[in-house]
Amino acid sequence: MSMIQVVQAKLAAGEFSCRELTCAYLDAIGRDNGALNAYVRTTPDVALEAADRVDRKLARGEALLPLEGVPMTLKDNISTRGVETTCCSRMLQGYVPIYSAFVWEVLQKQGAVLLGKTNMDEFAMGSSSETSCFGGSLNPHDLSRVAGGSSGGAASAVAGNLAVYGLGSDTGGSIRQPASFCGVTGLKPSYGAVSRFGLVAYASSLDQIGPIAPSAGDCAAIYDVISEYDPMDSTCRGRREAALPRLEEGIRGMKIGMPEEYFSGVRPEVLSALESAGEVFRSLGAELVPFRLPALQYALPVYYILACAEAASNLGRYDGIRYGYRTAHYSGVHDMVCRTRTEGFGKEVQRRILLGNYVLSSGYYDAYYKKAQGLRGAIVKGFREAFEKCDIIMAPTVPMTAFPQNFTGADPVETYLTDICTVPVNIAGLPALSTPCGYDSGGLPIGMQLIGNTFCEASILTAAHQYEKAAGQHKATKWGVTL
Amino acid sequence: MVTREEIQKIALLSKLLIPEEELDGLTADMQDIIAFADTIRAAEDLADPDFDSISGACNAFREDEVLPSRPPEEILQNVGGGEDGCFPVRRRM
Amino acid sequence: MSCEYELVAGLETHVELSTKTKIFCSCSTAFGGQPNSHCCPVCIGLPGTLPKLNRQVVRYAIRAGLALGCRISEISKMDRKNYVYPDLPKAYQISQFDKPLCRDGAVELSNGRTIRINRIHIEEDAGKLIHERGDTFVDYNRGGVPLIEIVTEPDFRSVSEVKEYVELLQLTMKYLGISDCRMEEGSLRCDVNLSVRPQGSETLGTRTEIKNMNSFTHIARAIEYEFSRQQELLAAGEPVIQETLRYDTTSGVTESMRSKEDAQDYRYFRDPDLVTIRVTPEEIEELRASLPELPAAKAIRFTAQYGLSGADSALLSRYPRCADYFEQAAAGLKKPRIAANFLLGQVFSRLGSEAAKEACVIPFDAAALHRLAALVEDGKINMGLAKSTLERMLDLGKGPEDLLSPADMEAVDDKKLEELCRAAIEADPRAAEGFLGGKEKALQALIGAVMRATRGRASAPAAEKQLRMLLKP
Repeated sequence: MSMIQVVQAKLAAGEFSCRELTCAYLDAIGRDNGALNAYVRTTPDVALEAADRVDRKLARGEALLPLEGVPMTLKDNISTRGVETTCCSRMLQGYVPIYSAFVWEVLQKQGAVLLGKTNMDEFAMGSSSETSCFGGSLNPHDLSRVAGGSSGGAASAVAGNLAVYGLGSDTGGSIRQPASFCGVTGLKPSYGAVSRFGLVAYASSLDQIGPIAPSAGDCAAIYDVISEYDPMDSTCRGRREAALPRLEEGIRGMKIGMPEEYFSGVRPEVLSALESAGEVFRSLGAELVPFRLPALQYALPVYYILACAEAASNLGRYDGIRYGYRTAHYSGVHDMVCRTRTEGFGKEVQRRILLGNYVLSSGYYDAYYKKAQGLRGAIVKGFREAFEKCDIIMAPTVPMTAFPQNFTGADPVETYLTDICTVPVNIAGLPALSTPCGYDSGGLPIGMQLIGNTFCEASILTAAHQYEKAAGQHKATKWGVTL
Repeated sequence: MVTREEIQKIALLSKLLIPEEELDGLTADMQDIIAFADTIRAAEDLADPDFDSISGACNAFREDEVLPSRPPEEILQNVGGGEDGCFPVRRRM
Repeated sequence: MSCEYELVAGLETHVELSTKTKIFCSCSTAFGGQPNSHCCPVCIGLPGTLPKLNRQVVRYAIRAGLALGCRISEISKMDRKNYVYPDLPKAYQISQFDKPLCRDGAVELSNGRTIRINRIHIEEDAGKLIHERGDTFVDYNRGGVPLIEIVTEPDFRSVSEVKEYVELLQLTMKYLGISDCRMEEGSLRCDVNLSVRPQGSETLGTRTEIKNMNSFTHIARAIEYEFSRQQELLAAGEPVIQETLRYDTTSGVTESMRSKEDAQDYRYFRDPDLVTIRVTPEEIEELRASLPELPAAKAIRFTAQYGLSGADSALLSRYPRCADYFEQAAAGLKKPRIAANFLLGQVFSRLGSEAAKEACVIPFDAAALHRLAALVEDGKINMGLAKSTLERMLDLGKGPEDLLSPADMEAVDDKKLEELCRAAIEADPRAAEGFLGGKEKALQALIGAVMRATRGRASAPAAEKQLRMLLKP
């Protein structure tokens, strides 16, 4: 049974009320968030109001909707009407949106119980959550380690039992990498499966909202709800098929591709965990298919060029005029805008804005942005050809396990290299998930990445679910709520 | 090789101020990052020049029907209600 | 050695489309209203919001393109033009860069010259900055109102060509019903690219761009000023600097807009939030078929169909509502010119303002004008009476039959004329005798009597002819 099913069964059985459940989570957050720094804001009023509605519904003997009454979180870059949304940036301190993201509208209709907003790297730019203006989120498996990023708060909250699930966003691995570091399951849906309306943009052609949850089954249930067609997002088409009904189908005969390029430079402990996972798949009747995907070698620079170019444009609007931070002392509008941005944005965000404007500026556009677009096309094509040979692809999520705190910052490029396994999926618009497949000698979780063809979320969720059932690697942490 | 002057020009475009004492460090960082980005130059024959956009969709239109706008109080909520119904930009503070 | 210089100018005209809603959200485009009262999270660029393209904007732009002889792109896309300014809430304007909706059109001027249209693209308008008390205030009501930008090649050689072109654009947009083109409200604005070169030279000189003018007077004065400024520079052996200028309407001079804060690099790239626009050849043909008759075609037809002078046809086609009114009035008339003269003469002078002519606010309907013209045509009333009747129709908003007595409108046909002539001879036998006796002058008295009896409705030559016949010995 997935965690969501367990919670809903207990609610339905009257083991506890939704208010009691919500209070238990709120209490646990009060107790443990000081250590984990998963939440940057709790929303007890919103949560309890929703919980009471659920309790009234249960009292009337009505059945619960798929996610109803389940305490959850939203990453702080998902717009919540009436609840401060800061992207963990000084730039948006005090900003209270007057509208809600599409996914949050959908979840509210589903009776979701929002416990709060989770920590992240500033504007989702980072791999450790340490660029957050609220400080980094820590790893529930080992407090000397980061939770990863950029959706580090969501992964930390779920692994630390401070929420049943959380929604994060993934531009270059920001759901999968922290899920991998924290030993939970995270799904980045296909580009266009989930509406981006209300997701504060980092890189619009790469961003997707997705779930971080204890298991593939939970992710499937959440995916099926949030992947609704949204007419407000021109690039949104909604899911092609629901994942939940297919989870028990099994994977006999499934061809699982293993591109060589993903396995070079990967730590031995990670490699051997993946090899064992491969054996599990084989034992479940799947076939492993090695192949090559040469275009992948350019994925990382392509990602940084495209993501930063879009980010430079997306982040131009933070000028202190309509919302958020505004500098205190200035002379003239131009000076106000420059000071506001310089004081409001952290160093990593500024670096990416500079790189983005550099690759778009006249004289460099063709050499960088345009070339990167062409290579994006090559990567898309490479994956398309790969999916003629296999049904899904298996790869490491990250070449290593969770970094120690303050690992980042020495050299920006070296930090970027840790994203090498996650970014290709965003470039190609594919769905991918990370699920735990073992632990290193220090007890830190290792993540396995499963990549599907476009809009084939059901295939990777089914494979992950079957793997979890056969060889589940979920390890409880000492934090938070025990149900 | 990115120069200090180029970084200054890009900073101006980006509306960011770079303190003189940080300029050298930043230039060095940017040189590393751009050298890294330059690795795509090696991929001469791989690129697909016809690649257009990741969203294969086309013609996502809205019909020309008016929906109520938000009250100005809401629009101006994040600037403390604004001034005379507008977003104020002081010349100096 | 003195040198004759030639003006070389191109125009970028921004036309606000009269769609009901903004280009990327469902807020109203209505002019006026309280500041920031036509706004929503999308058009003030709140973090996380996304644009959704208004279908009607695409249709309107294609109509404009077809009317101006453009090729319609079957595939186009939206791009971001990045620059930071307080009136631009996203810090980029969504526009079209290298794949505009329409390309390669042309407009014919009355002097026979052709102005080539390079492109027409769609984009969003910015908000409005209000400078008061030394501070700036921003109103985003206009932010996101759809615009088309019509870009010509540098084909203008004189101010009058520019003026004619802009007037023709204005008129065409009104015919298409896609814009009000109210210059005073800023719904039609021009940027002028201008360079000079020695007469006869084929190469282009360095150009300057004068931004954002919204009156014919300003456009004309700015061009004249800039033309002479550049000539003087070249005559003095100094170079023209390529720059963007603002025309200061109070001092009447152009001045540089560039500040050191302005890096001027728009870093265009495709907007990832919007998808490809595809138009099928069938859709293009459907829109082409739905185009109304355009001003030039209407003028040619009026001359051919109604026998109006070229000038009258052109004048009527400037006011499409009046042209329609005329056509209703003219239907079935043998001499439509009479109706045209009434309309363009007395009625137009009574309407007075351009706005009244555009709105065609005439106090009686076209059928009434038709009946008045028919009375003249049928000889039931003469022109003098018709004109005085028309004045009273304009005063009172009534039809001619309400203002003329039945006797006024009784036709003086041949039979009636013969009766009247006989009566005149009977009443004045001395005059008849006198005439028969050789006094030609005596006939005039009889004609006068006939005219009096008909209160001038009879035709004097016809009466004379009839009298001579009756008095034939």
